Amino acid sequence: MEVLRLHNLQKSFGSVRALKSASFTLNEGEVVALLGDNGAGKSTLIKAISGVFPVDRGDIYVRGQKVSIRSTRDAMDLGIETIHQDTSLAPDLSIARNLFLGREPVNLKWLGVFAPLDLAKLRDAAAALLKRVGISKKLDADALVSTLSGGERQSIAISRAMQFAAKVIILDEPTNNLGVEETHGVLRFVKEVRAAGHSVLLITHNIHHVFQVADRIIVMRRGEIVAEQTVADTDLLTVESIITGADMSALLKETRAK
Amino acid sequence: MTIAAEQEMPRSKRRSSLIRSPQFSSLVILIVLLAVFAIADANFLSPLNISNMMAFLPELGIIALGMTLLLTAGEFDLSVGAVFGLAPVVVMLLVQNGGFDIGIALLAGLLLCIAIGAVNGLIVTKIGISSFLVTLSMLLVVRGAALYITQGFPLKSWDQPGFFVTLLAGSFNIGTFRFYTSLWWFIGLSLLAIYVLHYAKLGNWISAIGSNRNAAVARGVPADAVKIWLFILTSVLAGLAGMISAFRISAASPVAGTGYELEVIAMVVVGGTALTGGRGTILGTIVGALMLRSIRNGIVLIGVPGLAYNIFVGVIILAMLILHALLQKNAARS
Ligand SMILES: Nc1ncnc2c1ncn2[C@@H]1O[C@H](COP(=O)(O)OP(=O)(O)OP(=O)(O)O)[C@@H](O)[C@H]1O
Ligand SMILES: [Mg+2]
Repeated sequence: MEVLRLHNLQKSFGSVRALKSASFTLNEGEVVALLGDNGAGKSTLIKAISGVFPVDRGDIYVRGQKVSIRSTRDAMDLGIETIHQDTSLAPDLSIARNLFLGREPVNLKWLGVFAPLDLAKLRDAAAALLKRVGISKKLDADALVSTLSGGERQSIAISRAMQFAAKVIILDEPTNNLGVEETHGVLRFVKEVRAAGHSVLLITHNIHHVFQVADRIIVMRRGEIVAEQTVADTDLLTVESIITGADMSALLKETRAK
Repeated sequence: MTIAAEQEMPRSKRRSSLIRSPQFSSLVILIVLLAVFAIADANFLSPLNISNMMAFLPELGIIALGMTLLLTAGEFDLSVGAVFGLAPVVVMLLVQNGGFDIGIALLAGLLLCIAIGAVNGLIVTKIGISSFLVTLSMLLVVRGAALYITQGFPLKSWDQPGFFVTLLAGSFNIGTFRFYTSLWWFIGLSLLAIYVLHYAKLGNWISAIGSNRNAAVARGVPADAVKIWLFILTSVLAGLAGMISAFRISAASPVAGTGYELEVIAMVVVGGTALTGGRGTILGTIVGALMLRSIRNGIVLIGVPGLAYNIFVGVIILAMLILHALLQKNAARS
């Protein structure tokens, strides 16, 4: 079943056409890898979906319904959670406060932004969540994020995306700068997330990771989607050559034929 | 944030992190300073001197509360000293030359402060110019306006007793101590600020914005709106402090508050709030305000020449900042 569909999304920054035209579909319980060289427009595409900035043109459908995503809040409310390339956490806040940032449990809700945080609930929910996602090392929910390793931070960001039962989880280069152990942790997360029924859009430069976790591959070049293949139907070398554009014409033909 | 983090910790850890926290080390230094002054001059702890210190304390302290929230959100405001000067001058001109009722004049002063803060906030967030440059320019505009509309002459302030004067600058005696109502304002606003920064949802947002703005925005936190409101709050508190001061001394001078912006920022960072944002402590700011106030008062009493005052203050601020930096490093290592 289709969860997210993009139709002809376009976005320019001044004269830079970062996104010329992007259309694709993401299905339920599917991991799609978004590949492409630096500057291909991957981050721009996912920022448009997650409401960081509006698109110039194009439509977004969530479960078949046309939606307008004008803010990050809109995207979150539609069940789209994004973990951005630039870190998604506030280092000076505790893990618990980060997990619930923007969706804090409060008492006296009518006080609006002045409502007191429900600290007990915050701590309990955070501890339960950390336990559920099974972060290997025991983390204290009250520890400041600045005291965590890069991999631990990434795990926290991913568990935050999972906790709000998001339909779609978008990860922008989640294994960047991570060690071997931590990278495996993140990939394991991706599989768990899929097993739990979420859909994942994974951006990465590491093709090996793609073949470990992804169901489908989408390749972008210069703001356009140039290829789309299921992992089972392709291999590492082919994908590599599409990304670098080595034998574009032949591959494009192959893609169109499908 | 530090405070809130402590609240969420088990007792044993809470104690060790409390001792390492910046506001705690500031408190220790404050106590040492008070002891030194008290030993050096017996008059330091006399009712008269304490009353004096408590009369001055709220004026800069109130501005420091707003500045703490603003710094925690990653911005700061250099125009507070000028607003401190302009607000009472405008109010008094409206009363004396315009013939307006004092209540209406005060309302106009409040609106003026809101407007100044809003302009600061809008330019910083929507146009994206650093708050250093925006509020430095605003300092010149506001101070220049105060000088221009008064032609540089101080005005006699409202000296008839009345509701507003009592509300802002009334005084009362407790035993041999003489306190001004401004102290209640300071205490009340401090409690509110502690609540907002450390216990309310808004405080979580303020710390997150200063710590990593993009992360906060990605979670749907309205970072720009929060910052604009904090600029407005800081301006309004500066105007309020200016009114309190003008009522207390029955004079409104266009040069009042000159240099206060730096003294206020010093109070805030000495207390342990990070200049880079993300980490703010109201308790630390209160300690910082008390510290700078007692230094100013104490060194006069013990006979340090007035002109040497700034040397003393500067050295103590530097020492405090070095201490905070060392503690921070230590905490990171453990
Ligand atoms: N805010 C912006 N303003 C102007 N140009 C931008 C902006 N964001 C992205 N671009 C440009 O748009 C193009 C696509 O950038 P994008 O960040 O989407 O690439 P990417 O595929 O994510 O690359 P990488 O793999 O390096 O992360 C680049 O040429 C970039 O310079
Ligand atoms: Mg990118």
